[in-house]
Amino acid sequence: MVVVESAGLTDVGKKRKGNEDSLLVDDNLGLYVVADGMGGHQAGEVASSLVVKTMGDYMRQFRNNADAEEPAMFDSTLSKEANRLISGIHLSNHVVHRISNSKASYKGMGSTVSAVCFTIDTIIASNVGDSPIYLIRNEAIKTLSVPHTVIAEQMALHPDGPMRFGKAFSHMLTRAMGIEKNVKPDICEVQCFKNDMLVLSSDGLSDKVSPKEILKLVKDRSPDKGCRILVDLANERGGDDNITVIVLKVKAVKYEKGRISGFISRIMGSQ
Amino acid sequence: MPTLTLKFKKDSAKIREYKIEKGQAVSIGRLDSNDIVIENLAVSGHHAKIDWAGNGFLLTDLKSKNGTFVNDQLAISHWLKKGDMITIGKHVLIFEYDKGEAQPEKGDEKMGETMVMDTGKYRSMLAKNVSSVASQSGEGEQLGVLSFLAGGDGEVELSKKLTKLGKNASSDVVLKGFFVGQTAATISKRPDAYYLSYVGGFSKPKINGKVVKDSVGLKQFDVIEIGSFKMQFIHKS
Repeated sequence: MVVVESAGLTDVGKKRKGNEDSLLVDDNLGLYVVADGMGGHQAGEVASSLVVKTMGDYMRQFRNNADAEEPAMFDSTLSKEANRLISGIHLSNHVVHRISNSKASYKGMGSTVSAVCFTIDTIIASNVGDSPIYLIRNEAIKTLSVPHTVIAEQMALHPDGPMRFGKAFSHMLTRAMGIEKNVKPDICEVQCFKNDMLVLSSDGLSDKVSPKEILKLVKDRSPDKGCRILVDLANERGGDDNITVIVLKVKAVKYEKGRISGFISRIMGSQ
Repeated sequence: MPTLTLKFKKDSAKIREYKIEKGQAVSIGRLDSNDIVIENLAVSGHHAKIDWAGNGFLLTDLKSKNGTFVNDQLAISHWLKKGDMITIGKHVLIFEYDKGEAQPEKGDEKMGETMVMDTGKYRSMLAKNVSSVASQSGEGEQLGVLSFLAGGDGEVELSKKLTKLGKNASSDVVLKGFFVGQTAATISKRPDAYYLSYVGGFSKPKINGKVVKDSVGLKQFDVIEIGSFKMQFIHKS
């Protein structure tokens, strides 16, 4: 199993009245989620907290009940755990979508979701929207999430494309939770190593602090202090949006068996 | 945001709808480099364009061979109004503002906020950009392949998000050998590239002769060695 030290922090920022971000930090489940809600009259708050709550509830059932039903839609290119995470995202999308259609004031509400979960020895990262998931390893920071924004998708198509789009598109998402009946999350699964760090955030942070700066500020600090310093910096630079950060540090990757036999089996390759 | 609806002749079904953005220029023509492509020989390569000028949309004919018509009148430049019918060759583009659309100067206040784009609108916008690009990049995703150089035959497609290589029979790529780990290595498909990671076993993987201690991004034609096995990593487009 993977031993993780975790910390999460959310802050309203300096300009907004309410906080539409939600987060989940659950070391028992090995599940960490950031959701950035949108939609007026507190609907954004409703959307993001629904996402976070549903994700937690869904993933918890596998822990509490060994007979819990595996997802009906099984993607064979993904591991069992990755299928569960994706399925949790589909369910959350469905819940937000249903609720948004149940009340006029919730109409059109939505949320991003960025979720990380750990298996015995891997990290699974999945997202919808533009809340980034960074992996810090060997002094380098890489993105495990795929930004679903007009600009990013245009950029991928052809580098000079985004020039045509104005400022109005900088926050324009191409996918979000709760907007349509179905959603397609991006997902990846990577081997986990000791001292890996992960940073999940809402765009309140990523708009203000570059990945390089995040790397520098987080790598030699405890997750707790890392969160604090990132939130403070985003606020110092204007705090235009709600700011949410989760920082995770992998303390150890332990193998199931006892220490000695586990070690031997690792070396000898016989389990 | 105004819409241009493309039809073949006035009364037929619509072929496609284009949203036009204030502040954005739209080119119309037969060539793929246009924003709105009309594939018909009656249409010039670069036939006409629409510009956002001041507070309205201006249609300009780019000295096309067969001309541009607005409401059946030959037009050289024309300020577009609601309901205008632009005829190019045998195709028709109908210009409409959205219902209750805010006037040009308004509606900018919410710019900083995150919004979700109407997917229909986006697709149509994207479609015109994709049309010229899609053919080059396929689905926009390149599939990695492991091609055996020694110890095995053929190719293994890396279509999974996480491909396991090792001795264990449940591995995606089974590699025999006393020193090869049950799971010797994994290859994950990450947004930027494929990464190979060492997991366990006495035989650590090597990439181009260098031992992999944790994880390394794979590049085109990298040679991976695990025990007596040798594979080459290839990006297929």
